[in-house]
Amino acid sequence: MAFPEPVLTKRIPLNPADRKKVWYNDYVATGGYKQLRAALDMSGQDIIKTVTDSGLRGRGGAGFSAGQKWSFIPKEKKTTHYLAVNADESEPGTFKDRHLMEWDPHQMLEGIAIACLATQCDIAYVFIRGEFHHGTKVVEQAIKEAYHHGIFGNNVMGTGKKIDCYVHRGAGAYICGEETGMLEAIEGKRGWPRNKPPFPAIAGVFGRPTVINNVETLCCVPHIMERGPAWFKTMGTPSSPGPKLYGMSGHLNRPGVYEHELGITLQQSIDMAGGMKGGAFKGAICGGISMGVLAQHQLDVKLDFDDVRFRGGCLGLGTAGMIVMNEHTNMVRALRNCVRFYAHESCGQCTPCREGSAWMKKILDRIVDGYGKARDLEMLLELEKTMGSMPGTTICGLADGTAWATRTFINKYYDEFAAACPEETTKRVSLPISRGNREVATPMGSNTR
Amino acid sequence: MPKITVDGKNIECKDRTNILQACLDAGLERPYYCYHPGLSVVASCRICLCEVEGIPKLVPSCQTQVRDGMVVHFNSSKAVANQKQTMEYLLVNHPLDCPVCDQAGECLLQDYSYEYGRAQSRFEEDKAKKPKKDVGLNVLLYSDRCIMCTRCVRFTREVSGTSELYVDGRGHKEEIDIFPGKPLNNKLSGNVVDLCPVGALLDKDFLFQQRVWLLKRTPSISPVDAGGENIYLEWNDGKIYRTKPRYNSGVNKWWISDDTRYAYKAVNAPNRLRQAMKTELGMPTACSFNDAAETAVAKLKQIVVDHGQGSLYAVLSPMMPCEEAHLLGTLIRSIDPQATLVLGPVPRGDDDVFMNYLDGSETFRIQGEKVPNRRGVERVMQILGGKTVDFATFIASTSGATKAGWIAGGYLSDWIGTELPAPLKGGFKVVQDILPNELTRNADVLLPGAAWAEKAGCWENYQGAMQAFDAAVPPPEGARVEGKVFHKLLGRSGMYDAAAVRVSLGEPFVQAVLPTEVEMAGEPAFEFVEL
Repeated sequence: MAFPEPVLTKRIPLNPADRKKVWYNDYVATGGYKQLRAALDMSGQDIIKTVTDSGLRGRGGAGFSAGQKWSFIPKEKKTTHYLAVNADESEPGTFKDRHLMEWDPHQMLEGIAIACLATQCDIAYVFIRGEFHHGTKVVEQAIKEAYHHGIFGNNVMGTGKKIDCYVHRGAGAYICGEETGMLEAIEGKRGWPRNKPPFPAIAGVFGRPTVINNVETLCCVPHIMERGPAWFKTMGTPSSPGPKLYGMSGHLNRPGVYEHELGITLQQSIDMAGGMKGGAFKGAICGGISMGVLAQHQLDVKLDFDDVRFRGGCLGLGTAGMIVMNEHTNMVRALRNCVRFYAHESCGQCTPCREGSAWMKKILDRIVDGYGKARDLEMLLELEKTMGSMPGTTICGLADGTAWATRTFINKYYDEFAAACPEETTKRVSLPISRGNREVATPMGSNTR
Repeated sequence: MPKITVDGKNIECKDRTNILQACLDAGLERPYYCYHPGLSVVASCRICLCEVEGIPKLVPSCQTQVRDGMVVHFNSSKAVANQKQTMEYLLVNHPLDCPVCDQAGECLLQDYSYEYGRAQSRFEEDKAKKPKKDVGLNVLLYSDRCIMCTRCVRFTREVSGTSELYVDGRGHKEEIDIFPGKPLNNKLSGNVVDLCPVGALLDKDFLFQQRVWLLKRTPSISPVDAGGENIYLEWNDGKIYRTKPRYNSGVNKWWISDDTRYAYKAVNAPNRLRQAMKTELGMPTACSFNDAAETAVAKLKQIVVDHGQGSLYAVLSPMMPCEEAHLLGTLIRSIDPQATLVLGPVPRGDDDVFMNYLDGSETFRIQGEKVPNRRGVERVMQILGGKTVDFATFIASTSGATKAGWIAGGYLSDWIGTELPAPLKGGFKVVQDILPNELTRNADVLLPGAAWAEKAGCWENYQGAMQAFDAAVPPPEGARVEGKVFHKLLGRSGMYDAAAVRVSLGEPFVQAVLPTEVEMAGEPAFEFVEL
């Protein structure tokens, strides 16, 4: 396993001062859109086979095989097929797609075009997070260029094929990054995740077959087409091959987006970002806060889709958006912050998530204020077990995020939580009424804290 | 016909139905909030989750289609734990104001809390505070009681097609709301109150009027239009308090119009006629009902003797049940075999059509014909034969052949106007009505009648469906059910019985039957039944 040179970021230098946006001419000059030309001569099934052989796993968090996902789309085309590109990157700690879209948008567009050819999609929607004002402008400009140069439109590269690509901006809801929530949002509805079945591959946007891929997944596609599945498998681990963008943030000397192969250890990733800042390592949220936390003794956990799960005790690698925390971090406050996010972003459709996340947030608020009780921890651990799509009590996986964050934080830093929730407290057991309604004092969503 | 096993019981179910509906069809009560057979499935309340053998996760029973041989558990430890936890979650932000809540007694939250919940809440924090809202002419929204099942939102989109309600906000702070300046004022708005499984959406008309466990209910039919919507009249102590829809797949499904819902107000009107009157020495004089009725018949007989046959007419109101229309026709023909039978006025407007907001398919239609029984009375008049005319022809006629008549009203609002039509101006008039109007003021004999809620009978709706209704409350003191009066005046023996008259009329009137107790209990379950 080796990682000789950057793949996805080959046009984006590591040093921010050297970066410049890659527009159409620069992209073509560095070998761009050659793979699209090649793909136009291939059959859709061949493209899908190439991608499946490469073992590319979705970079959006779940790590599902991208080629397999494409193969679920009906082979015989009876109606419009859609491609929905998930660029609603809202998970705290994750900022890799933004990096790709803002600096090298054509790489994503080439991936979109190839994916459309593979799955016979007529229309691609790029669902961009509402807060990405700059990214939206860049992608819109790039799409305009692509239309101008015949990448999209009624005559793709002169072959008479037809692909359309549109940008759809979100309105600032985390839940619209959930795949079926995103489909609802694209349809112009409230972004409430749908019940499955039917799966999006059969009935997605507007009830038509729909492929849903993450930006980074699509960015990998042109490279796989260029150098082949065997090359792709030289990077990463056997089960999780390929390059990966690591969004390193937190107490690090040089936070930022770094590209490396999958399967490096946590220690390696910290070193890549310049090492710890301000103190020794205490914990790292491994892939956006929904995946849970890796503790001190887990620095040797390999960052791939399986090891983080089975050896790291987390939900998975997620998006590899690392938030690294040093020894001075208060883990109770860190968890409160995570749960506050989920209480704020719960869409409110399923009862367990809607009520449970808010309840957990209120308990953690109380603990942070110094009014914790021993049974609060039992309560938190009981509540987190009742919510999530894994036990089946919610429609989507947002509640799993709440559950896994709470579970891993409390179990891995139990002493710290136990100290905040003493068996016998000298303070009053319940909050004075005057301090009761925290939501009035500090409205969620404001950036004051 | 797939066969499935639910908690050890084998049930047969329809094809392509879901587990929950199959259970309800088979009479097995299982908990649910957001599911409604008339609306789309969202599976968001999560209390109906069940365990299906072969599937590791809990699955929503309202959304999972039945397969032959499926083994379903609602009482497995996982499913029961989820029911318990969901109940606790729902009550976390629900105010404990059952003592002042109108829904108490028919509240699914109360029922399931008792059946599936835990006795004590472990929630020690502050409850979310949400406002009370005035969302429309007839509906109040107490958003703190809401459990976000979104049945009301789906109703306004999928049935009324007006989309007034929507979900505002996110997470535990979300509320049902209306858009600014767009109140919930469509003609089906009251149905959201029936749909609400808790006390969040309340009928302003019923607010704080009665505790629901005191109410008795009687199956009835809507009196406001030819649609013949099936309803329950809910009453206590001889007074009607509210109207609820009664499921009928062929007529109104689960819904009723607001006109139907508030039609009972005419029955409770303070100015209902209560005193029988007759004209003595040119002066209207109060008298006993029997005296007035006998005077009327004697006078009519005298007129036939004086002016010969063909001088009498009878106005058969399309508000009358078929039985009473037949008895009145028989009565007037027994006095004067050549008497003219007149069909009372039939006010007409345009149909109100409601469409699903997505596909535009018709979901509900309020008939433009604003009387319930035009077809039935016409059918009766056909049976009676002889000279029959409609009201417009009758008042346009200037022949003066008719000298006296018996006029039955029973409309729920003024039907005659301020100026009497010429044929009704002069001559001897026996008027039977429920509310005062120009005609009752000019009547020679006035007989206070009973409104539809006070008598039994049958009506034929626009589809030709003959539907029976029962008396919910007694008529006000001094008024009498018309059927009983005709029965007595015809000299028939025994008690007046609408069902017996129907039998004597034969087809198609005998098709009208009241729902049995079992059928009434077998409504789509909004009631709690001990498992």
